[in-house]
Amino acid sequence: MKQLVTTGIVLSRTDYGEADRILTLLTPEQGKLRLMAKGVRRIKSKLAGGIELFSVSNITYIQGKREVGTLLSSRLLKHYGHIVEDINRTMLGYELIKQLNKATEDQPEAEYFDLLQQAFAALDDLAIDLGLIKLWFTAQLLRLDGHTPNLQTDITHQKLEIDKKYEFSYDDMAFINRPDGQFTADHIKVLRLLFSGNYPQILQQIISISDLIPQCLALLQTLRQLH
Amino acid sequence: MKILLVEPDRLLARSYTQALQRAGHEVVVAVTAQTAIFEADTTAPDMVILELQLTRHSGIEFLYEFRTYSDWQNIPVIVVSHVPPTEFTDSWEILQNELGIVAYHYKPSVSLTKLVQIVNETNGKEWVTDDRKVADIS
Repeated sequence: MKQLVTTGIVLSRTDYGEADRILTLLTPEQGKLRLMAKGVRRIKSKLAGGIELFSVSNITYIQGKREVGTLLSSRLLKHYGHIVEDINRTMLGYELIKQLNKATEDQPEAEYFDLLQQAFAALDDLAIDLGLIKLWFTAQLLRLDGHTPNLQTDITHQKLEIDKKYEFSYDDMAFINRPDGQFTADHIKVLRLLFSGNYPQILQQIISISDLIPQCLALLQTLRQLH
Repeated sequence: MKILLVEPDRLLARSYTQALQRAGHEVVVAVTAQTAIFEADTTAPDMVILELQLTRHSGIEFLYEFRTYSDWQNIPVIVVSHVPPTEFTDSWEILQNELGIVAYHYKPSVSLTKLVQIVNETNGKEWVTDDRKVADIS
């Protein structure tokens, strides 16, 4: 059988039998791959070091007729080691992996691989606020799923204005002008930057962004739940 | 009860072990997350006592890995850690529901007597933390 090579990020690991594990990996070209890793449950397995979480690895495998291929070898390409230095970062990392795993079918496009890699890079940078990473990731999942809200006009098709306040209509996926609305021009600017695909490292430089994160995150999380 | 004690401080691990053994429990000690997985595999513990601050891989990483094994889903985990519970005010649901932590205790307030009491009183079903409610901890 032909040996195949790809890069991959581990999404999940489950046990199989006494000594084996089934890994679900996200790859840029094959989407999700399920591979049997033999004997890795034991501490001395030679593969144990190459299939860590929060890593990008070079994977060699055999894909037979069955749905689950067989992992032959793995070489660590990039390990985002700072993530595991902070417990809250670690937990967010696991949470983002879980969200992406749930959001993607078996054949997700390469953008999802890039998204997860960018998320790891952001988590690995201890200067980037965790709330911002969570907000950014949620926005990217919505964008990739085709659920970008209308950030240009309100529900009456009037341009959003700098001196007005708004609430968000989840039915219309657009803002409604309300004098007592919780969303201001600053919130909308941040949302526009998020949905334009700007990286957290750029967004972190916005003054007072931490004040805007809670309302924006609540809005986007509700959108994710609805879609 | 067979207890897996994951504790990087060897002196403290020895003290905890002796106290738990005097109370009639069998104790296996692991100092890192990786050896804890190995010991869990070879000794089949009934309960895990876990410090979160470990070298290389944290106790949280250990827990995520531990819970991916089907035969370890229901083993109760008690956290006795230097990390104060206030670090996790946004994450209690994950700690309890996904990672199966049944009790969380701040290490400086846990004496040997209290440790034995915690182990003996934890039934694996009810969430327990320090005497004060989490919301009251400042």
